[in-house]
Amino acid sequence: MLATAAETSNKVFPYAWDQSDLANGLRVITVPTDYPNVVALWIVVQVGSRNEVEPGKSGFAHFFEHMMFHGTRSMPPDEYEKHLKRMGAASNASTWDDRTIYHTTLSKEDLELILRLEADRFQNLSYSEDVFRTEALAVLGEYNKSSAEPAEKLLEVLYDTAFDRHTYKHTTIGFLKDIQDMPNQFHYSKLFFERFYRPEYTTIIVAGDVTPATVGPLVGKYWSQWQRGNHSPVIPAETPHDGPRNNHVDWPTPTLPMLAIAFRGAAYDDTGIDSAALDMIGQLGFSKSSYLFRKLVIEEQIVDDLSVDTFDHLDPNLFRVTARLKKASDRERVRKEILAVLAGFQEKPVEGKKLESVKKNFRYSFALRLNNSEAIAETVAHFVALRRTPETINRMYDRYAQLTPDDLVRIAQKYFVDRERTIVTLAGK
Amino acid sequence: MNFRWILVMALSAAPMIAESVIALPGKSPLVTLRLVFRTGSVADPKGKEGLASMTAAMIAEGGSRRMAYQQILDALFPMATEIEWQVDKEMTTFGAETHIDNLDRFYAIFREMLLEPGWRQEDLRRLKDDAVNFLQVSLRGNNDEELGKEALYGAIYDGHPYAHHSRGRVAAIRSITLDELKQFHRRCYTQANLTIAVAGGYPKDFAARIRKDFGKLPKGAPETVRLPPPKPFEGRRLLIIEKETRSVAMSLGFPIQVRRGHPDYPALLVAQSWLGQHRSSGVRLFDRIREARGLNYGDYAYVEYFPRGMFQFEPDPNNARQQQIFQVWIRPVQPETAHFTLRLAMFELGRFYREGLSEDEFQRTRNFLSKYINLLTKTKRSELGYAIDSRFYGIPDYNSYLRNALAGLTREDVNRAIRKHLPLDNLQIVVVAAGAGQLLDRMLAEAPSPITYNAPKPNEVLEEDKIVEKLPLGIRRENTRIVKVDTVFE
Repeated sequence: MLATAAETSNKVFPYAWDQSDLANGLRVITVPTDYPNVVALWIVVQVGSRNEVEPGKSGFAHFFEHMMFHGTRSMPPDEYEKHLKRMGAASNASTWDDRTIYHTTLSKEDLELILRLEADRFQNLSYSEDVFRTEALAVLGEYNKSSAEPAEKLLEVLYDTAFDRHTYKHTTIGFLKDIQDMPNQFHYSKLFFERFYRPEYTTIIVAGDVTPATVGPLVGKYWSQWQRGNHSPVIPAETPHDGPRNNHVDWPTPTLPMLAIAFRGAAYDDTGIDSAALDMIGQLGFSKSSYLFRKLVIEEQIVDDLSVDTFDHLDPNLFRVTARLKKASDRERVRKEILAVLAGFQEKPVEGKKLESVKKNFRYSFALRLNNSEAIAETVAHFVALRRTPETINRMYDRYAQLTPDDLVRIAQKYFVDRERTIVTLAGK
Repeated sequence: MNFRWILVMALSAAPMIAESVIALPGKSPLVTLRLVFRTGSVADPKGKEGLASMTAAMIAEGGSRRMAYQQILDALFPMATEIEWQVDKEMTTFGAETHIDNLDRFYAIFREMLLEPGWRQEDLRRLKDDAVNFLQVSLRGNNDEELGKEALYGAIYDGHPYAHHSRGRVAAIRSITLDELKQFHRRCYTQANLTIAVAGGYPKDFAARIRKDFGKLPKGAPETVRLPPPKPFEGRRLLIIEKETRSVAMSLGFPIQVRRGHPDYPALLVAQSWLGQHRSSGVRLFDRIREARGLNYGDYAYVEYFPRGMFQFEPDPNNARQQQIFQVWIRPVQPETAHFTLRLAMFELGRFYREGLSEDEFQRTRNFLSKYINLLTKTKRSELGYAIDSRFYGIPDYNSYLRNALAGLTREDVNRAIRKHLPLDNLQIVVVAAGAGQLLDRMLAEAPSPITYNAPKPNEVLEEDKIVEKLPLGIRRENTRIVKVDTVFE
């Protein structure tokens, strides 16, 4: 049972989890929770759009996630679906920059069956070129469904502008031209599976009404024959930029003007303070409780949406502030206001009281996330994608707890430098 | 599930008062609170569409009498707690989840927001912009799928209290005054309309405290809105929303008599789950449209309102309605395949209507639902929400209601319910597309829409396509309409 925040001052993640590795490198993490009957199985593969290093292959990790639902010789997809339906399971998958996750929530009595089914598809996936070419069209459909959303385009252009060499240059769905070429990449898909769908890239998380004593032997039974691979991805590092960058998107239909201001950020780090400090600055500067939100959204009412993103990443990604404006004529004003707030962090330490307020927010946000077994598994999966162990959670929250106002000044000075800045604007017709 | 349900009826001097508390005590340090008023956009006066929604917005995203909105945000921020709000046709919901450490401070603010709203002009100005931007930009501009689905409801309920979007109409939103909001609050936020629900490790007297505090609301009388039936229509109607967009989004549906508690609800739920369980693969429409042919990202079917389906896997509770529609959601397709895909959906619906489910399909789907319903109430938020909806529909708790009903169901029950409730003669189709005129002409001409694939297909698919590509949609010109996107929700 979760204790009160006061009692767990040293451990924000309060569950007694267990972690063990098979000889082939597969890792198993079991998290017994107090929620009865239900089990959440989250399988994290440490491959994402970050691994798409070859030209023309953007979006491939996500496409491959789709292919994982196309069965094996002994378990065609319709049989797999029948099993899932019989279990009454909720099942899906998602891909992002640094990872692909396959997840199923089900009743605990079906745990062995799902572990057997998943072991089969992770080791013996098999599909024809015809099926592959058809599935590529479903990915195009996925691109289409979001294509009316200007924020998607804004981000696509922002990343394309802000990166030259690193694969974070493209979004997870990929460039449209690469998606349109996906049907022709059947042979590459086999190579992709050979490289990344391997035990050393994979972690199995089981959370819910379970114990390590039941999970361990089941995983051993079905997953220990899986062969380790030998591929080590080489992700090109982004080299320092020599000046600020700007770009603009003309949106073909009426919409509200948008503005994204980004600086090269820090990689996720549970031993140093850089990423922790940037997360804090993001909330101090741009949350609903910030000076700028009050000024632009509540008082002057010239912005209707202000947000900050400092997502955890394996490599340095972006510290990104996005605003949606009511009138294009306010864009220069808003740009200056956002930059002034960031400059303010470099010049003057924040009040201790404000910093404490954000620290509390982080701890309570985290506690509020853990409200069912599926959510607990999802939270662990996020961190496993980064460091392959839940231990990183408590380490990271210790970093947050230890931050001082002076730390924030130092980190703001290190990261908010003009030469690493990218600004992209979007305007409707 | 091993918790106890405790139902506390209000101990009121006036036994007529239906205000009540649903309490779900537990050991969790998280406390979940949900207040639902039985009022919503059906209570919007003519010309003031959006008043119910704006009243709730002013409460949840505006100041209270004592605190300005920014002060509330500043106070809630360290608790990491936000107020969730939702206004549908007949229900208005306020919810939050907070840590027990912060419960007293949070509740003091929350209570004031609901009981003593600030009614500030500057909040109203901001929230009017938000409501208009939601309709014009977020829905109409940026999200063809939700636009199509909401426009489907608008078309089916033309002239009915359900017709306008729950958020309102643009011109009406602009005209709302503070006095109108205060009046609406007095009239509809009554004890008689209120259900209070709370879960988690709250102190023993907490539920009684909330009940007492909300005893300050006007007592009111239980509001039973008598809704007319939707206007009957004959034939198949087509509304095309003309919009510059790269793909084509489609939705179709018609009113049904069935809602939770109706004897055929469990049967239709099985039918809908087999045909198009939300965001699920291995179901019929998904299999034939996406899996076999790669025409789009997914295709689903519903017998209850399910807003924001593109963002979530389970429906939000507390959108309970007296009247529901059967609905099919076809996710965006490439323009050149739009006519074919609509035909294919109609072909599948026709087969579904004629043949129903086989015994094996019935058994598998029933079995799936019997287990899957547990996942719908996996959080306290949804557990409370479903309990409140169950009261609305006059059924026992949803899980046991459905589990019992499913256990006694037969294949014949399901197929009979399909034939009784889901004939395809009269239905509304909504399409969001560029080049509306040409698309309409092709559909009216019933011109063949042959399809080509990027890979060889099994013979059975190719043979089926020969029928589908010529399948008459049966739409007559007088039942069609093209509207410009910038007129929708105005």
